[in-house]
Amino acid sequence: MPELRKDPIIGRWVIIATDRAKRPDQFSSQAQEVPAQKSCHFCEGSESQTPPEIYAVRPRRTAPNTPGWELRVVPSIAPFLKVEGELDRIGKGLYDVMSGIGAHEVIIETNQHIDNIADLGEEQISRVFTCYIDRMTDLERDLRLKYALIFKNHGWIAGGGHTKHSRSQLIATPVNPKRVKEELIGARHYYDYHERCVFCDLVKQEMQSKDRLILDIDGFRAIAPFAARFPFEVWIMPKKHSCDFTRLEMNQRLDLAKIMKQLLLKLKKGLNDPPYNYVLHTAPFRRQKVGYWKSIDDDYHWHIEIMPRLTRVAGFEWGTGFYICPLPPEDAAKFLREVEI
Amino acid sequence: MSELRRDPIGGRWVIVDTGHPSTPEEFKHEQQSYKGGVCPFCYGNESMTPPEIDSIREPGTNPNTSGWQVRVVPNKFPALKIEGDLDRTGIGIYDMSNGIGAHEVLIESPYHQKDIPDLLNHELENVISMYCRRALDLIKDKRFKYILVFKNFGAAAGASLEHPHTQMIALPMVPKNVMEEIKGAHDYFEYRERCVFCDIIRQEMQEKERVILENKHFLSFCPFVSRFPFETWIIPKNHHGYFYHMIPEEVPALASILKDTITKLKAVFPNLSYNFIIHSSPVNGSENIEYYHWHIEFMPKLTRVAGFEWGSGFYIVPTPPELAAKYLREIK
Repeated sequence: MPELRKDPIIGRWVIIATDRAKRPDQFSSQAQEVPAQKSCHFCEGSESQTPPEIYAVRPRRTAPNTPGWELRVVPSIAPFLKVEGELDRIGKGLYDVMSGIGAHEVIIETNQHIDNIADLGEEQISRVFTCYIDRMTDLERDLRLKYALIFKNHGWIAGGGHTKHSRSQLIATPVNPKRVKEELIGARHYYDYHERCVFCDLVKQEMQSKDRLILDIDGFRAIAPFAARFPFEVWIMPKKHSCDFTRLEMNQRLDLAKIMKQLLLKLKKGLNDPPYNYVLHTAPFRRQKVGYWKSIDDDYHWHIEIMPRLTRVAGFEWGTGFYICPLPPEDAAKFLREVEI
Repeated sequence: MSELRRDPIGGRWVIVDTGHPSTPEEFKHEQQSYKGGVCPFCYGNESMTPPEIDSIREPGTNPNTSGWQVRVVPNKFPALKIEGDLDRTGIGIYDMSNGIGAHEVLIESPYHQKDIPDLLNHELENVISMYCRRALDLIKDKRFKYILVFKNFGAAAGASLEHPHTQMIALPMVPKNVMEEIKGAHDYFEYRERCVFCDIIRQEMQEKERVILENKHFLSFCPFVSRFPFETWIIPKNHHGYFYHMIPEEVPALASILKDTITKLKAVFPNLSYNFIIHSSPVNGSENIEYYHWHIEFMPKLTRVAGFEWGSGFYIVPTPPELAAKYLREIK
């Protein structure tokens, strides 16, 4: 059983893998770009090579774990957290430990062997978002879980695997992750004073200067954030205020697919298919303690953060939480605006 | 001149290089291997660096010539610059400040191929003494609130030059992680009236399973809540907030435990890239922090930080620290 441990000083939780603990010789210090594997267990026809599916889009109503699907969700073959077992909190001296309860799922975004989500059709990308919503809604029923984080690792440097088949991951945790908590606290704090959503204010300001605006399509905007941590960092924000991604309506999902596709294509074309991560930041599961965060509907605003991995995070960043961004976001936005797709 | 910008949501400050911004083209297909050619940190090439700020050198040799053992120079491409007044402004909802600070490079030895484990003890003691000497000088500048000492070794850990070196950055504000650490240590102290780090040392010495090495003044161990596999802390047993107030006996003790710990890590991982950071109390205004305890955090670069970590601030550690410490203890 993996463990969750809490840092006694700053309150950060980490996941310690105990079952599949790695030995020193399993780390390759120098590993760089890795050759693609020949066979892909995420392609149509290889369903038996993954754990049994949790969810699938099967327009022809074919049987589970057989061909005929457009999108498929399976448990991670090497999960960091597991659904089975009791949620157990203990203290070890001054340290806090929790059993590693949670979920770790892989969303296979297409039945074809395509590497980058940018190359999927808009309809298919919007199906991926629907799948995110369905999976999050399902996991919210598990009362032990507090948050579901959706993320993507594209390319080896960004933590992607050997198999170049487009997919995202979902990890549901029994605690609210620190980064999310900080953002929620920051947003609430701003709201307490101004009675406005900090994200809405931020978008308003960006729409005045337009220096950092990259795309403005239908209900969404792509912005290079003022305090970008990485070169070409981009946030995708809905124009309409909403704290909860799972309430996104069907037609908005297609709009979101449109802006995501265009933005990711611009990154791909302009920067030669760089490795990137994206993460979805949305409100935590709120069903347990209704009203515990009474202004969250007004103060928080869901968004997607896209982080191309073009620089290395070094000692300075780790030590300080301070990032050195070698490219002003205004320049990044200008460059991306001008990339033709 | 670069800019410091504050994220209005999480409160994180970032440095944006507006003075010499990299062009978007520079990021395409970045391959990080070391170019050959002349190393500006080797003997005989002293004129390739900006003029030295301080050095430990053989008697009779002149600054900016050979004959030194440790040499400190300004960073040729500094993230922050020392000239000017600190100027904080707001632009709408955003906060920013000009990029005032100091960015120095401490060349640890004249030897291009010698990392910390390859240095003689007295050579390493000179390096440590120089860390303290530079910090004591930088804190005289009252604009600085934090002195950060860190090392990137190996391309994977972000070192842009191969010749081993440490960097020092003096910042006009206390960085977010440090603030959090100090706040956490403060909250612990408020309730128990004990230092959380002293308590950690006590518990680790009792349980022993995460301890790697110990001498009279220092302990090296894999922390219970590691963020990275084989993460290692080196901590003084003596409670003190500032590394640069080390007592004279602590310098050789630190040199020896630092050297032996890194030697063990390099025996396990022959091509190791790593970062280490000295965590110390803020300066100029936040004195007398009785609840903070300086230490070194050493992070081998073995895993790739991916979307989950960035998005959540949660870290996944594939090797439990107990196991990592066991591997390291077993290396002779």
